[in-house]
Amino acid sequence: MQNSEELKWALLVASLAMLTMAFCMISFVMYYQKRRFEEEKKINDIEKNYNRLLLDTALNSEETERRRIAQDLHDDIGTMLSLTKLSLNQLIKMAGNSRNEKEDQIMRKSQSLVEETILHVRRITRDLVPTTLERFGLLEAIEEFIHKLAEDKNLTISFHAGMEEFPRQAQKLELTLYRIMQELVNNAIKHANCTRIEITLEIREELIGLRVTDNGIGFDPEKMKESSMAGLGLLGIESRLAILNGTVLYEKPEKGGASAFAQIPVMPVADVKLEPLHPFRRERVNV
Amino acid sequence: MFPVYLTYCTKNPVGCIAVFITLLPLILIIYRKAYIDPSFKLLLLYLIFKLIIDVIMFHTAAMHQNNLLYFNIAIPFYYSFLSGMFYFKFSSITFKRFLIASMIGFLIFTVWDILKSNSQLHDLHNHRAVLFAKTVEGVLIIALVLLFFYDIIKSLQIPNLLTFPFFWVCSGLLLYYSSFIFIAPVFHYTATWKNSFDLGIANTIPTLFEILCALFFSIGIYHFSTADYAKQ
Ligand SMILES: Nc1ncnc2c1ncn2[C@@H]1O[C@H](COP(=O)(O)OP(=O)(O)O)[C@@H](O)[C@H]1O
Ligand SMILES: [Mg+2]
Repeated sequence: MQNSEELKWALLVASLAMLTMAFCMISFVMYYQKRRFEEEKKINDIEKNYNRLLLDTALNSEETERRRIAQDLHDDIGTMLSLTKLSLNQLIKMAGNSRNEKEDQIMRKSQSLVEETILHVRRITRDLVPTTLERFGLLEAIEEFIHKLAEDKNLTISFHAGMEEFPRQAQKLELTLYRIMQELVNNAIKHANCTRIEITLEIREELIGLRVTDNGIGFDPEKMKESSMAGLGLLGIESRLAILNGTVLYEKPEKGGASAFAQIPVMPVADVKLEPLHPFRRERVNV
Repeated sequence: MFPVYLTYCTKNPVGCIAVFITLLPLILIIYRKAYIDPSFKLLLLYLIFKLIIDVIMFHTAAMHQNNLLYFNIAIPFYYSFLSGMFYFKFSSITFKRFLIASMIGFLIFTVWDILKSNSQLHDLHNHRAVLFAKTVEGVLIIALVLLFFYDIIKSLQIPNLLTFPFFWVCSGLLLYYSSFIFIAPVFHYTATWKNSFDLGIANTIPTLFEILCALFFSIGIYHFSTADYAKQ
């Protein structure tokens, strides 16, 4: 009887040991799996951040490059053109009355050519760097942009802002929204064959929404992404948004046309340190 | 008839719960439509088979008849159903071949074990439990479960194990067979008519874990979602 009692205990202990092992096994699998998953997620996050940084740098250097070109155009060619205009004026004055009709015509022609070139250079520099955006903010910049396009009689562009006063946002965000708006409106003009474009800008619950709707032929963004048709424009919009945690949604309104809705979390200007307006401004070189 | 069952139930309540708790995961599988997953279809078959065997054993035990024949016969079937579940969880062809071979091999082994344990097969009244087969079944199932755990860790495809149905099923099996593995061979010696040796609590542990295993199955099946299965 004594023996059987001992055997019973031995069995009990063995079984409990086996069970403890099983428990440990299960806990270990659960714990280890969880940790591996967290590690994997961390690595993914790092990778994503790194990619975003790369993209950010690429876009930043693009903006810087534009700025540099605009600066050079303005400072070098602009100045030279002004000087040319001045010299030309002097030449006209000096020639005085002692010239024939032919010479007169050529002079006037060169004068108007130079003036036109000056205008072109100014327009190009302003297109390259949205100075209005930096000085007065999104509302003004968008208004200016559509004002420039409004000369076309067959196209009406309307712009609604959700509020009177649009709080200034971080420069990067304003520029992103502006560039996206530019691309969307350009697309509508280029591809949509439309007569009306509507732009709306609103802030809702910490999100800035930009919607561009046209009444043109419309397109299927899914198909566009699959096919090799996808242009740089739509891709550029996505990569710009990715940097600022934004999203874009293309819709096909029932009454036809196309509509794009971009959303970015707000970034009030106080939260970010102001970047210099003209980084890499070249010192003027005196020859 | 009924009072006989009642007396048996009051005498052995844990055993009775273990018999009828099988209904819980069984109904849940049907209710959650988990049987669209082939592994859970096999689990359903296993549970149905187990319920039938358990009810027969419950009846014969209440009638004071020897029911160890059913216990022995069920062993290779249990193994086939349970290991069959893993057949669909691994993609390796060699593994699948090995699994099929192990089912056939184990069937032969169990028949040999039954014959060896019972030199007089026609004497059903003195039929004895097998010596090795149940333990070997436990070892094989535990090995399969551990293999599956290894695969989970290696492939890293399941974000949350606590909502992964098959993890619960495996944990239940692991606990049940761990609790049974040392006690099974002792049955061969103790489960006889003239034995006065009572295992006591050691006898109840596997039954308790049988109940726990059924509960684990139920939790797992509860987390089963047909939508998720369709996505895989
Ligand atoms: N508003 C629109 N209406 C119709 N089609 C559009 C519109 N916007 C874009 N698309 C289509 O999507 C394509 C990709 O546009 P995008 O990425 O901006 O490239 P790109 O403008 O350089 O062609 C365009 O070629 C055009 O077919
Ligand atoms: Mg475009």
